[in-house]
Amino acid sequence: MKAIFMTTWQEAVRKKTFFVMGAVTLLYLLFWAVLLHYFVQTVRERALTDAFAGLASHMLTQMGLQFSSSLMALLTVMLGAGAISSEVESGVILSIVTRPLRRFEYVLGRFGGLAALACVYATLLYGLFLALGAAFHISTVTAMSLGQIVAGWGFYLLIPVAVLCLTVFGSTVFKTVPNGLLMIFIYILGNVGGMVEMVGNYIASKTVTAAGIFISLISPFHTLYAGMERILLPTSGLVGEMMRGASGLSGSGAPASGAMYVYIAVYMVGFLAWTVYRFHKRDIS
Amino acid sequence: MDYVIETRELTKVYGTKIACDKISIAVKPGQVYGFLGPNGAGKSTCIKMLTGLVYPTAGGGTVLGQPLGSVAARKKMGYLPELFRYQDWMTGRDLLKFHTRLFRLPMDEGRIDQILKLVGLAGQDKFKVGSYSKGMQQRIGLGCALLPEPELLFLDEPTSALDPVGRKEVRDIISGLQKAGMTVFLNTHLLSEVETLCDSVTIINHGVVARSASMSELLLQRVNLEIRAAGWDEDILAEIRRRFQTEPVTSAEGKVTLTLDGHERVPEIASFLVSRNVALYELTPQGETLENVFIRLVGASGDAIVAEDAEAKEGAVG
Repeated sequence: MKAIFMTTWQEAVRKKTFFVMGAVTLLYLLFWAVLLHYFVQTVRERALTDAFAGLASHMLTQMGLQFSSSLMALLTVMLGAGAISSEVESGVILSIVTRPLRRFEYVLGRFGGLAALACVYATLLYGLFLALGAAFHISTVTAMSLGQIVAGWGFYLLIPVAVLCLTVFGSTVFKTVPNGLLMIFIYILGNVGGMVEMVGNYIASKTVTAAGIFISLISPFHTLYAGMERILLPTSGLVGEMMRGASGLSGSGAPASGAMYVYIAVYMVGFLAWTVYRFHKRDIS
Repeated sequence: MDYVIETRELTKVYGTKIACDKISIAVKPGQVYGFLGPNGAGKSTCIKMLTGLVYPTAGGGTVLGQPLGSVAARKKMGYLPELFRYQDWMTGRDLLKFHTRLFRLPMDEGRIDQILKLVGLAGQDKFKVGSYSKGMQQRIGLGCALLPEPELLFLDEPTSALDPVGRKEVRDIISGLQKAGMTVFLNTHLLSEVETLCDSVTIINHGVVARSASMSELLLQRVNLEIRAAGWDEDILAEIRRRFQTEPVTSAEGKVTLTLDGHERVPEIASFLVSRNVALYELTPQGETLENVFIRLVGASGDAIVAEDAEAKEGAVG
């Protein structure tokens, strides 16, 4: 399992996957820094009130977090879409699984390597995002306590790991490209689920809210994002009310229940176990 | 352990298609065992069941005394797949190191150098596998399979991408491995290779075993006999037809050629001719070629293989 884990890392480095991810991220952070610069300049020049500047910085941070988590999720899909399928399609797997290696070790080695890679990436992205916010004295960022940052980081890491659980499972069922497209669709569906739930709350329709919850059960990634947002931006419930319409992707209703988080844990472990089972049972030809 | 590989009615069905139907084979330790059949006969599926890649629908067997696909068996088993593809981003040395780890062997640079030399890739180990020619990739694949000094080596078309010189080198490697006591299970389309290397052969066609025998048994199953003698008459030829169930053909030079259904019948016919006062000057038995046996067993569907083999021979001459 260690050999597979290490090779997965080496592959990302040698194939320059990590480099490409870094370049895309750098562009994003550059864009983010420019945005923060003009935001701070505008606040200063127009002498906006603290309340309005606070609201604006909240919106800005929320938007940045949403975009960074989406970027991270999409790059995770890129990493994991061919985790197993690409090796089956190319035939590389034939010389691997005929070695004294149990099939579950192969799956867990691949998953572990990719998950570690995604977590390192997520940590860097999270850290740089917050560091930039702090450097530009964005009030919502500078107000965060260490406890908030650590707890938010935990949720932030769970997003790519959860996406990876589903994506690696998909790579035992579908070929690489269809799997990647399907996973992107499911991820976006999760955001849509959040919006549907929000609309349901808005119009006080239990049916629409239930539809949103149902979508979140299929794609619970947005719930993890919302959990992180609540920790980092604790006023998001109030501000969310004010921002409905302005922020399409994160209008938050009530916080997710404990049962939902248990469901997400079962979802992740379940898909990983299903991947191991499917790969163990399949013929490799 | 009497047999390194032993299968009992190994069967694989894909939907309604039977890829392998009740394949029963037994491979003794130290043998080079040829596994032949036309395209689509089920050879690779059978090898994949033996190596644990594909699960049998029915039947079973053992490899190195362990159930098919067991991790314990794979520790001392090497496999070079027909579709040899390796991580193209690794260098040759990286790939061997990776497979050393997969085999859970201690990292031994000396062993890696030895393998590189054996497969003719010494000095090429710093280049990426993706930059290797097909032949070099096949060689590095063979190197990976040889890393654990396996007791059993599965080679699925091991020379398909090699030039004539490379083919000979691989043949020499296989001969060397056999001398070292390794069992080699060889699936190849090149009948000349099988004839040169193998102790025993199984020929399968349409997923079933058409014939399984030692090479000598297979090639001497029918003997073409050329007889130079004096004192023939029509009665003697008629009795040969009756007793030996064959049709003697007399040439203009007076030689008689006939086919016997077994090498053991050669002294029998010699005794018969002497007993009939035929002056026997020369009696030359010739076994069948593997090509003849193969065509006889698989029929027209084997044409493609024979043509490929002929091309390979031509290449080797050229």
